[in-house]
Amino acid sequence: MFGFRRRPRIDDELREEAAHHLEMLIEQARAAGHSETEAAFQARRKFGNTTAIHEEVRAVHVNRILENLLQDVRYSFRSLRTNRSFAITAMLAAAVGIGPTTAVFSAVDRLLFRPLPYAHQDRLVSVGMLAPLDSNEFLFASPYFELRRHRPVFEAVTAFQAGTIPCDLTEQNPVRLRCLRVERTFLEMFGMSPVVGRTFSTGEDAPNGPRAALISYGLWQSRFGSDPGVVGRTLPLDGAAVTIAGVLPAAFEMPTLTRADILLPLALNEATERNGRALRVFARLPEGLSAAQARLQLQPYFAQALEGVPPAFRKEINYQVRSVRDRQLGDVKLVSVALFGSVLGLLLLACANIATLVLARGLGREREMAMRAALGASRLRLASQSLTECMVLALTGGAAGVVLAWVLVRTFAAMAPGALPKLDQASIDWRVLGFALAASIVSGLVFGIVPALRTPKASLIGGGWRSVGSGAGRLRTLLVSLQIAISIMLLTGAGLLLRSLWNMQSAPLGLDAGHVVTARFILGKERYGNDQRQIAFFGELEQRLASVPGAEASAITDSVPPTGGTRGRPLNTIEIEGRARPPEGTGGMAPWRFVSPGYFATLRIPIVRGRGFIEQDREAAMFSMVISDSYARSVFPNEDPIGKRMLRGPKGEWFTVIGVAGDVRNVGLSKKADPEYYVVRKPTPDLTYANQEPPIGWRAATAMVRTPLDPKLTAKAMRDTLAALDPTLPVEIETMRQRVGSQLERPRFNAILLGLFATIGMALAAVGLYGVVSFLVSQRKQEIGVRMALGATPHAIERLILGHAARWTAIGVAFGVIGALLATRALRTLLFGVPARDPWTLAAVVALLAAVAFGAAWVPSRRASRLDPLTTLRDN
Amino acid sequence: MLSADLQGSLNLIILRALSRGPNHGFGIAQFVQEGSEGLINVEEGSMYPALHRLERDKLIAGEWKVTGNGRRARYYSLTRTGRKALADAERRWSVLSKGVEKLLGFA
Repeated sequence: MFGFRRRPRIDDELREEAAHHLEMLIEQARAAGHSETEAAFQARRKFGNTTAIHEEVRAVHVNRILENLLQDVRYSFRSLRTNRSFAITAMLAAAVGIGPTTAVFSAVDRLLFRPLPYAHQDRLVSVGMLAPLDSNEFLFASPYFELRRHRPVFEAVTAFQAGTIPCDLTEQNPVRLRCLRVERTFLEMFGMSPVVGRTFSTGEDAPNGPRAALISYGLWQSRFGSDPGVVGRTLPLDGAAVTIAGVLPAAFEMPTLTRADILLPLALNEATERNGRALRVFARLPEGLSAAQARLQLQPYFAQALEGVPPAFRKEINYQVRSVRDRQLGDVKLVSVALFGSVLGLLLLACANIATLVLARGLGREREMAMRAALGASRLRLASQSLTECMVLALTGGAAGVVLAWVLVRTFAAMAPGALPKLDQASIDWRVLGFALAASIVSGLVFGIVPALRTPKASLIGGGWRSVGSGAGRLRTLLVSLQIAISIMLLTGAGLLLRSLWNMQSAPLGLDAGHVVTARFILGKERYGNDQRQIAFFGELEQRLASVPGAEASAITDSVPPTGGTRGRPLNTIEIEGRARPPEGTGGMAPWRFVSPGYFATLRIPIVRGRGFIEQDREAAMFSMVISDSYARSVFPNEDPIGKRMLRGPKGEWFTVIGVAGDVRNVGLSKKADPEYYVVRKPTPDLTYANQEPPIGWRAATAMVRTPLDPKLTAKAMRDTLAALDPTLPVEIETMRQRVGSQLERPRFNAILLGLFATIGMALAAVGLYGVVSFLVSQRKQEIGVRMALGATPHAIERLILGHAARWTAIGVAFGVIGALLATRALRTLLFGVPARDPWTLAAVVALLAAVAFGAAWVPSRRASRLDPLTTLRDN
Repeated sequence: MLSADLQGSLNLIILRALSRGPNHGFGIAQFVQEGSEGLINVEEGSMYPALHRLERDKLIAGEWKVTGNGRRARYYSLTRTGRKALADAERRWSVLSKGVEKLLGFA
């Protein structure tokens, strides 16, 4: 550093200067007639404390701070090396605190904190109505036109179609792609532009305009070798030539996180479209307006929009305005916050744990510190030394934690890639490293500041007796109680999630998932453009499924439990013959499915009354339906439902109830089943979905086969069967067990993570308690010796020590239970079949922790009871 | 150790001592003791932080030399800034001390 002399030179020079000075003083004293020793003594007294002067002179030179730090760091490493077990324990504690925190940060960062790749991302909101069957808001075309025309509140609005449309690149080797229709203004409002080419023109976004497409960066790379000349070329898409207008940027992502390979123009027709297509609508708020305020200001608009909804549905509708981030988070907001909160709790626990270790070590080193203070080290200097040591621990522990985090992130993503959105992108990048560094520094400060503030007492140089009721002792017990309290909270959360998971797994599905293989597919638009082709395909498929080797039963359905599938109807719109129409808005939805006659046999859903579907039910004039048990009980409580007529067909025909099927889980595993009904698939066009896009209707279906054979063989047989019918058709094959299991992916992920954190926390708390009790025993050795000498039995000594441990544990448990009762309320929506304040879970957690705490305290208390009074009394 | 309010005076004393020519730490201490006729009596070592501070602030400059009796010692001398600072300080000091004397009624 310019202008300052280097440290070693200053030290040497000062030493020489001081030596010269002292020599002169000695000479002077000798000249005055003092003896050699007397002269040396007087000279020293006249000169003063050399160490302090050295320190002060060094402090004059500014690069001091840095040098102090380097010296402290060097000293820390040396002193930590001499006490390996302390250093390793503390570092491990720091690593298991910082590791999971960093891993969870990396998993939730993109969801909760990292800026989204959009211009004005804070002002972008999703607008629409929330209706059953779709967990996200949408608008139909006519209310959207209203919004676009008058633009109440918003600066800009744009829309795209909900969901992707399967589209086929029809070349020699057809490829199934995901297409998504967006409005021309979409890219612009989100502040994105194509890397090559341009966005859609007004003409292209108009009905029957020229066909144009924007392709994804990935498609550009894989299909066109990143050729910039791709713009203007044509793609054969579903049999029609589409011109490539541009290429989307690599970082492009839909605000709904929907993955799409190709964007097509939405081409809304303001003259004719009313409510055919569901649109995702996004808008930009003016500066300074919140989503909630916008929602309030939009009330008149929403009220008007609701008038366009059929009266029977109105009670089911809510209007919503929420930020893009909330839209992306969706139902995992709570999970991400809960997971992040619990790792922060774990980190705090680890800090408390290390602080007790550091305090214990500080007490063990009081003599050293007192000695150094006496030798002229300032109090600040000693404090900063101790803090540096903690920083060294925190940073090395943090480094180990980053390695642990890397392993954990890999494990999370492999274990449950769908547990959180963007989990596949989670990695240890600079941002995450920065977080780990910050977490380490803050932890180091937290567990370093307390011991650093303690002053060494000169009286300790000589050693001697101390009492345990000192400030440090009380602080340590408080820290132990804190660890236990956090453990209780983590364990309770984990316990509740595990019980929910267990309930979800063990609640009856209503079907037999074993030995069933499913194949899901969507027929392409070009090959199956008309009803005849679709009907022919399904007729042929049904025949061939029956001859899959070992097939006991087979079926085709449009959706498969335990999810509700794609069709649903408000219960109050279902008429029952001879009864008045139910009053408007009695609420509730009934999912329903189009199934082939083999459906119930394939899934082994019991028919509790009447019969299942047979071939005759498929005749054009037959309108048969099967209803679920709970539906039958609620609509026909004291009557025989068989033969009852209800539900009107497309031309007002009554359907006749021919059977009652057992209840099947149909809204996922985390909710109770809804009443459900079934209609048989017929070789006729699917009128309900005839005009819709994406064309889910007939074209999307699942084939199922039940066989006792190895599912791998059956999977291959099904693939072959479908390939024989149409070799270009993409098929997703899964066993029924896998389908059910994938429903448990998220709850399992949450429960495992929280369980892991809770286990680490409990282990740390146990180690902490063990450490403090051991320390108590070693500090009170003499007292214990005296007690024993005075006739206390080993048993009484054990009780004495355990009594202390029990008191600290009890305090921790008390606070932990209160904290758990407050915190787990937030988990309510994640739970299934267990209340948030479940006394049994809480009792089990307390019992577990008490047992662990007893174990941790018992070992050292046992040691105390075996102390030899003679040795302990002789020791000091 | 020197208390804070004495530190300024110590700086002034050192500058004054060096105005008579370059000197080493021991020499300066001698000057202080003799010049003040034993009235100012500080631990001599505590002068060194002051010396180093003055050197850092470029009021004095240090240089290793051999003393009259053949020993190596660090000699300090006033720099030009040091000389000016001393003149300023002496003027302020005399104004202040006159004022104080008048106030206390000695004049």
